[in-house]
Amino acid sequence: MDASAPTAALTPPLATVPFRHLTALWVQVTGTWCNLQCVHCINASGPRDPWLASLDAPTVRRWITEAAALGVKEIYVTGGEPFLHPEILPLLGFALAHAPTTVLTNGTLIDAPMAEGLAALAAGAPYSLEVRVSLDDPERTRNDAIRGRGAFDRALAAIRRLHARGLLPILTATEVETARPGEGLYDRLRRLLLDAGVSKPRVKILPLFPVGRVAGHGGGRVTAEMLQSVDPGRLQCSESRAVAAGGIYVCPILSGLPEARMPVASLAESLTPTPLSHPACLVCWQTGASCRNG
Amino acid sequence: MSGLLADRRELPQRLSVTEPIEPHPFRRIAVFGGVYSNAHALAATLADARSRDVDAIFCLGDLGAFGPHPDRVVPLLHDGGVRAIQGNYDLAVGQGHPDCGCGYTDPRDNHFARLSYAYTLAHTSTANRRFMAALPAHRRLTLGESPALLCHGSPRAISEFLWESTTPDGLLRRLLDDARAEIILCTHSGLKWHRRLADGRHLVNVGVIGRPENDGTTHVWYTLLTAEPGRALAVEFVPVAYDHDTLAREMEAEGLPPEFVETVRTGWWTTCLEVLPARERARGRF
Repeated sequence: MDASAPTAALTPPLATVPFRHLTALWVQVTGTWCNLQCVHCINASGPRDPWLASLDAPTVRRWITEAAALGVKEIYVTGGEPFLHPEILPLLGFALAHAPTTVLTNGTLIDAPMAEGLAALAAGAPYSLEVRVSLDDPERTRNDAIRGRGAFDRALAAIRRLHARGLLPILTATEVETARPGEGLYDRLRRLLLDAGVSKPRVKILPLFPVGRVAGHGGGRVTAEMLQSVDPGRLQCSESRAVAAGGIYVCPILSGLPEARMPVASLAESLTPTPLSHPACLVCWQTGASCRNG
Repeated sequence: MSGLLADRRELPQRLSVTEPIEPHPFRRIAVFGGVYSNAHALAATLADARSRDVDAIFCLGDLGAFGPHPDRVVPLLHDGGVRAIQGNYDLAVGQGHPDCGCGYTDPRDNHFARLSYAYTLAHTSTANRRFMAALPAHRRLTLGESPALLCHGSPRAISEFLWESTTPDGLLRRLLDDARAEIILCTHSGLKWHRRLADGRHLVNVGVIGRPENDGTTHVWYTLLTAEPGRALAVEFVPVAYDHDTLAREMEAEGLPPEFVETVRTGWWTTCLEVLPARERARGRF
């Protein structure tokens, strides 16, 4: 007698999300190479022995060119820390020639010359450049406990430099602790920016995903029945793909993970339905969160 | 167990073969979007358009929102012979959805969107809700010799924002191909713009007449499109001045948020700003 058969028969089928159109291409230019080592990092990036390699510039340009031909709406450049890439500014310029581009950074490497370089890129580009700077808590000590000593001051300085040059960065925070009493994280971060002289504060909050350094903490299955009650078009795997060392991945949260790699050679071939098979998929389903700017 | 997405179900919008198709080609049309309950601006827009020898007038949806007395809009559209399509607000109000479906994700944007929607839903008559619910999602027409598709947000989604700085040419080509059109007319974002692709096809975001353009002036904008034989499509954005002081006083009397009233009086957006891309946001005061 096959003891596993009855259990398998009782397991509800996993949800599968139809693909709509390629709205966002995520490009993990530095793999998991980062100068910080945040406790919640979704891909466990860090300064030593990154488990996922960087992409070379020709590879990045090839992916962006293919995505543009497919009608992609936005390009996101991420890592690791993208500003560790030796060709980051030319690559951002290349991306901006094809589509609006967002770069996600911890801000620590955006000194005055780099801010000037980004401002010049933005001024000369046909499309909007967005810079998202990660900072997780408006209190320095709490933030640095998550992101590392000195991260708060350097990120806030980068935001000021960018804002002063008209770039209007988006402070992006991960809601590491969801149940603090009093004013919510969004309002506290807005106030931090206003107090820092940022007159047009922009804040994006992301939930904590059980992947990377937080793998194993929460998450769960999304069954086909659960998907019936929502618009699957709002899940980012219905409209996004990520590229990193190794190829094409279903979404930016799972980028680089072998189990999320799509067995195809081109983006055109990757625009297919996606099973919600990772525990992190439940967070997208529960919160409706998108890694995109809007 | 239910996800937050459950309250936001939006069925995918597909281009329908049953969408209204205008039987005769047009030479010149006037098109506007986003009335946002601003009957004063609507009346001024219709008067201006009628003086410019147009063949027809089209509205790309969002009859209610933001302003006072939403029921004053539909009679003006009827009297003016305006051919309308459905915006996300018309869909939501018409079907009694729990929110406006504007497509905002930021908490501050959503806070003001909720205030606006609650007022509009409560002050729209059953007859007008029925009218909104029955509006088509798209229209097709021929402008000169060019097929055009009229939509609210984009051809593929009623609440998609097509901003000038975040709509790449590659996407435009894809949208035009999929729509089988040489011209796409849209609104929803609140900011007008026009791009002519190298292959001669066009996208025109016609702007809105319900609130000013975040440029520090109080007028609003609609669009004239003219297709003369043998000439490229002419796209003209037309400013419309209206009695914004009266509108502002009516909004105050109705208890609408002072932030909305400030926008009417100053021409600067004070709410629903977070959805703006960096480039468009940088142009405003806030």
